[in-house]
Amino acid sequence: MAVPELFHTIEESGLSTWMRNSESVFGFYFILLFHTIGLSLLVGANAVVDLRILGVAADLPLKPLKRFFGIMWMGLGINVTTGILLLTAYPTKALTNPVFYVKLSFIALAVMTMQMINARVFADASLSEAAMIAKGKTMAKWSLVFWIGAITAGRLLSETYTYLTYGHHVAR
Amino acid sequence: MNFAHLHLLLNHFPIIGTIVGLGLFLISFFGKNDDLRRGSLIVFAAVALLTIPTFLSGFGAQLMVKQKPGVSDAFIQRHEGAAMLSLWFMEATGALALIGLWQVHRISRPATWNVSAVLLFSLVTVGLMARTGNTGGDIRHPEIRGSQQVAVTEGTVGSIVHAFEPTPDKFSESILGWWGGWWWAFIMVLHFIGLALLIGTMGALDIRILGFAKQLPIAPLHRFVPWAIVGLGINIVTGMLAFIGQPQNYIYNPAFWLKMLALLLLGLNAAAFYLTGIFDRVERLGAGEDAPMSAKLIAASSLFLCFAVLTLGRYIQPTGDSLRLGSN
Repeated sequence: MAVPELFHTIEESGLSTWMRNSESVFGFYFILLFHTIGLSLLVGANAVVDLRILGVAADLPLKPLKRFFGIMWMGLGINVTTGILLLTAYPTKALTNPVFYVKLSFIALAVMTMQMINARVFADASLSEAAMIAKGKTMAKWSLVFWIGAITAGRLLSETYTYLTYGHHVAR
Repeated sequence: MNFAHLHLLLNHFPIIGTIVGLGLFLISFFGKNDDLRRGSLIVFAAVALLTIPTFLSGFGAQLMVKQKPGVSDAFIQRHEGAAMLSLWFMEATGALALIGLWQVHRISRPATWNVSAVLLFSLVTVGLMARTGNTGGDIRHPEIRGSQQVAVTEGTVGSIVHAFEPTPDKFSESILGWWGGWWWAFIMVLHFIGLALLIGTMGALDIRILGFAKQLPIAPLHRFVPWAIVGLGINIVTGMLAFIGQPQNYIYNPAFWLKMLALLLLGLNAAAFYLTGIFDRVERLGAGEDAPMSAKLIAASSLFLCFAVLTLGRYIQPTGDSLRLGSN
């Protein structure tokens, strides 16, 4: 498969080269660390809300959990930023790997579900708790499925790539 | 300080700890002493946590004594197999003890099935731990071996137990070899799902105590704690399997050892929360009520330690084996 020249150009840039080659603790792994912290905020807060809708901690009032959406958006912001940086470090590695597009699809579905739960379950303050749960149940299940899918695909990226950098094929 | 030293320092705690725990547990049956039973469950949980670094340090100690004259690899292998089997039984006992403590909290006493399970598992663990201690002693203390034999020999009980013990090298190889790289990927997928579950549920409680989303009453929020423990359990099992699969990647790694230290501190932090009365004061807080400063300090250190564990874990890969504790 021919790999677009653009990836090569990105890899030659100063930022990309620095992230890949820097010996500093603030290089590639620092960004990867923040990608993991973002994951724990984003998926962690989603898991709490989903589990509550699905009946865990049933005595806990649901409405104040609306505050958790702020944490989710913060986690998402961190991960979009760090994700773009990681992509800048290894564009060929990610974009030539089909699993990367599976991961992005799971994240798109998960974020859409998260926004739907926010809009349909939490936005209308006049809804009773029972009505909120009735509306949210299916979405909460899919939310958990999508996030598990996103984590799985993300982890698999480091096992499935076929090019590390432009022109550098990895035998599998 | 080196790995052999660290191993000798730690290795009596799991053995004596399980015996003390079992003793307290058995005594609690007489006179139906509930506090004593709760105490014994706490001992089991604490020992289960301490067993982890004890087990890990054994790998380093092994690398140190392996080349020494008079040390037989067969004795080491036998001890390692015994240690692996006791480790899993100890962790299972610890998990059952935590379930028991949760039941004490919810319905004021552990369920009958839990009492029987803890009794069974702790009895087996005490036996396995005794064997682990004995086989470990045999490595460097020929004077305590049955007759002055130089080869490994087993009595009747020993050979029965031995049939259930993993052969360390084969076990590591099969973990590494099974599915090729997929086994590793699968373990890491679970490790990350466990991470999200643990930090999400425990973090929710921590930030509420610190004053975020104060409309949440604490007692019902605390019902997420079993899910945090499920996340922790997933991560202890997958983490230990990752270590056993390739111990050489971890044993000389400072980030890994600091991560284990942060994990122990997280255990101490939980003990400070639950055993000093702070939790009892916090649990009563309803919607909008502010937590006392002591609880906020513990919640803040819980969050800090959680992210310390995460950070150090992330840096295991790039720091590699820059630590040569065992080579002096």
